[in-house]
Amino acid sequence: MDILSWNGTLSSSDFRLAACAFMEKWKSVMSAFPPWSWVTCAKQPWVASHDVEGYLSLENIILRSIEEEHDELSCPQKEETSCSEKEEPIDIATLVQSNCSKVPYYDLHIIYSASYRVPVLFFRAYYSDGEPLGFNEIEKDLPAHSAKALLDSKWTYITQEEHPYLNRPWFKLHPCGTSEWMKLLFHADVSVPKNGVAIELYVVSWLSVVGQVVGLRIPLEMLNQL
Amino acid sequence: MAAHDSEGTILVFAQFQSKVDEGFWHRLSSLKLNKLGIDDSPIPITGFYAPWSHPQVSNHLTLLTQSLPTELSEQSSTAATSHGNRNRCPVQGTLYNMNTIESFYALDKRSLLKEEAKKIWDDIHTGKAVEDSAVLSRFLLISFADLKNWTFHYWFAFPALVLDPPATVVDLRRASEYFSLEEAESVSAACNEWRNSSFTAEVPFFLVSIDPNSHATVKHLKDWETCQSDGHKLLFGFYDPCHLPNNPGWPLRNFLALICVRWSLKSVRFLCYRENRGFADLELSLVGEALITVPQGWRDHQCLPNAVGWEHNKGRQVSRCINLAKSMDPTRLAISAADLNLKLMRWRALPSLNLDALSSIKCLLLGAGTLGCQVARMLLAWGVRKITLLDNGRVAMSNPLRQSLYTLDDCLNGGEFKATAAVKSLTRIFPAVDAEGIVMAIPMPGHPVPNHVEDSVLEDCRRLHDLIDSHDAVFLLTDTRESRWLPTLLCANTNKIAITAALGFDSFLVMRHGAGPFSSNHDFKAEAANALSAIGNFARTDSDERLRLGCYFCNDVVAPIDSTANRTLDQQCTVTRPGLAPIAAALAVELLVGILHHPRGIFADGEVANSSSNGSSEQPLGILPHQIRGSLSQFSQMTLVGHSSNSCTACSRTVVSEYQERGMEFIIQAINHPTYLEDLTGLTELMKSASSFNLDWDNDTDLEDDDCVQV
Repeated sequence: MDILSWNGTLSSSDFRLAACAFMEKWKSVMSAFPPWSWVTCAKQPWVASHDVEGYLSLENIILRSIEEEHDELSCPQKEETSCSEKEEPIDIATLVQSNCSKVPYYDLHIIYSASYRVPVLFFRAYYSDGEPLGFNEIEKDLPAHSAKALLDSKWTYITQEEHPYLNRPWFKLHPCGTSEWMKLLFHADVSVPKNGVAIELYVVSWLSVVGQVVGLRIPLEMLNQL
Repeated sequence: MAAHDSEGTILVFAQFQSKVDEGFWHRLSSLKLNKLGIDDSPIPITGFYAPWSHPQVSNHLTLLTQSLPTELSEQSSTAATSHGNRNRCPVQGTLYNMNTIESFYALDKRSLLKEEAKKIWDDIHTGKAVEDSAVLSRFLLISFADLKNWTFHYWFAFPALVLDPPATVVDLRRASEYFSLEEAESVSAACNEWRNSSFTAEVPFFLVSIDPNSHATVKHLKDWETCQSDGHKLLFGFYDPCHLPNNPGWPLRNFLALICVRWSLKSVRFLCYRENRGFADLELSLVGEALITVPQGWRDHQCLPNAVGWEHNKGRQVSRCINLAKSMDPTRLAISAADLNLKLMRWRALPSLNLDALSSIKCLLLGAGTLGCQVARMLLAWGVRKITLLDNGRVAMSNPLRQSLYTLDDCLNGGEFKATAAVKSLTRIFPAVDAEGIVMAIPMPGHPVPNHVEDSVLEDCRRLHDLIDSHDAVFLLTDTRESRWLPTLLCANTNKIAITAALGFDSFLVMRHGAGPFSSNHDFKAEAANALSAIGNFARTDSDERLRLGCYFCNDVVAPIDSTANRTLDQQCTVTRPGLAPIAAALAVELLVGILHHPRGIFADGEVANSSSNGSSEQPLGILPHQIRGSLSQFSQMTLVGHSSNSCTACSRTVVSEYQERGMEFIIQAINHPTYLEDLTGLTELMKSASSFNLDWDNDTDLEDDDCVQV
């Protein structure tokens, strides 16, 4: 595909292609993380396409390194409306751990948007007890350098919307700027004018930008064409 | 605990840690609402866990959406889980979801734990645990779902059969230190194969048999007989979710119980299998030797040992609580969706959009008819949250068609009060709105009041005064000219933003009133103003007036009287083209938003469209007109500017100061004597002098001069 005439978007079948290429690359390069999986969903009856609908999913991952000290001050005391088991005998074989490290876990979904014709990153964060993180807490959790720059930029905007398949509020990176900066991104790649736009690299390149919003760094090896 | 302690320290296990995904609570709520109702019988659920794999945090026993059976099927949830996911080894559990917090607290936890432990005990004795070893990690969950507050109280128990006396450990160390190099390599390979095969990936308990040639094989528990050859080392392996270097994970407890009962071993060499990056990691995995004293009576199936296992919460044995209102409460979701919409607008198109001003402004709508309903809806769309509607009418059968907040139900039984019905409707649309309805008539000049109701009219005047005082912007949306008089005066008196919308048959007027005569206008000769304002603003020159924008009455030559004869705007409002009200209402609200974003607010000059002198091409929202007059017959609209009149019966200095001096007495006089206002402002004189030139006027009348169209 000629870069000059390309508008920065991709079709849903190309997304599927790029997603598969991305999953393969990820498995080989990002071994510290579990692999992405493709979740197939029931097709909505009003969708005209014949493709199988689905999205990429990576769940339950920890994106930051955790400090070893367990700060008692950072553990908010929940109301004492809990029942306790006074009858159970103290068992000397049970290790009592009083640490309360609040580690945020992330779920990432990459879902294709038919109206914008680009992938969209949906994400949510929660602590190990399941308590979800609000937007402010996620912002605090982001590595400092990426947070400010990204969130103020005109290309990325985090909104909270209903997940198209799970019907619960997730955070998402609004897609309306995506095609513009994807075009810029591919323009900047020197191999493109010669070989044309390698659409199967779309998802990888896209995530290398978008992943930074959640503090996910994609190493350069991921971007090399095989 | 020292790794090479040969005295046999008590083997201390790290408890399972639970993690519940939000989806589990969502599904439980929906099951409860749609299917279970008050049924609180136990529900089979599935938990998932995997060997430890993250560098710093233990793995958890996790509950997901699919841990619960779907609403449609009765079958146990294990059938629905995707098999072969090596990171989600399924474990059966039982959920007791109670209907009240009291019954949650009142549950006999000891006996519940005992009951669950008994299932494990039975499985050990019958041999089922050897066939399907995951049953050793059976768990229990009690919960109470408060679906009004979206709060979930819950408590996990991981039943472990207690060895009495407890097992002791001799020699607990890293697996890499225990195995020889070849053994280590072989064990790793065998384990990886076990983990990669979809038949065995989810089997959390296994045997590791190492032959004299350091070749390791991993086998099912049921193949124990085949591992009895001499010279073979045998280890009992299990997926260990724990990350601690000196403690094995919880699953080992019941594993030891199984080994003890079925194979009567007193010394057990175990392997705490842990992973890194998806592969067996023998640096992190532990190997130890446990010494067991088989308790009296354990051979006897009937004799159930003690069990422990209620999960600790921050070191204490208490239940947990999680609040998911933010993601489950529909009102909260509606609020964040509404905010999102506006924020998107600000981000993509209008960075200077002042959302705080919009959400904090208090708007008073006088009139809840065609204009009032539409203005209210438009305000909601702009993020305004505080809306008060004033109207003394009831919803009539013809209203719902044109008055967009009402439906047929509001018309029944004589009709609800509009103000009340409007508030209910707004709240249905957006629960977070702070809407108030006032059922009241606006006192009008030229409509004399009999003595016996004078007190209640005075009361209404005072009430209106207070209402205007307590709001920031007032919309004059009534259906007569004279009902706009008192509100205009009161707004001019307190310098509140006043926006008028008036409808004719196919034309409309939308305008913002200028600032009041005694307001401080910083732009006007500041030094002079400061000097004068020291004595209270009474020494302004007449030229001030011309700089103020006019109000609805400033263009009148006549004072507002009982309007039945004339056929101009406001006086035949029962017959208007339906499209007018939505257009006018929308413009009125956009005008308000413009005022809120203009640096000079109510003092902003009136701008005219397509004027080359528009300095406000810099204003992101565009120009801020004074008046907009539109015509549907022409599908046209024009912007006009009109300055205040010294003889205005509503906002001139004369009238406002008279009100300030005499208050209600003045109001009553204006209400009861139709010509009082004209006399006061000198309009009577003006009329007299105008009518003396009647003949000349007739000859010069030019009806095509739009600027002179009488309102």
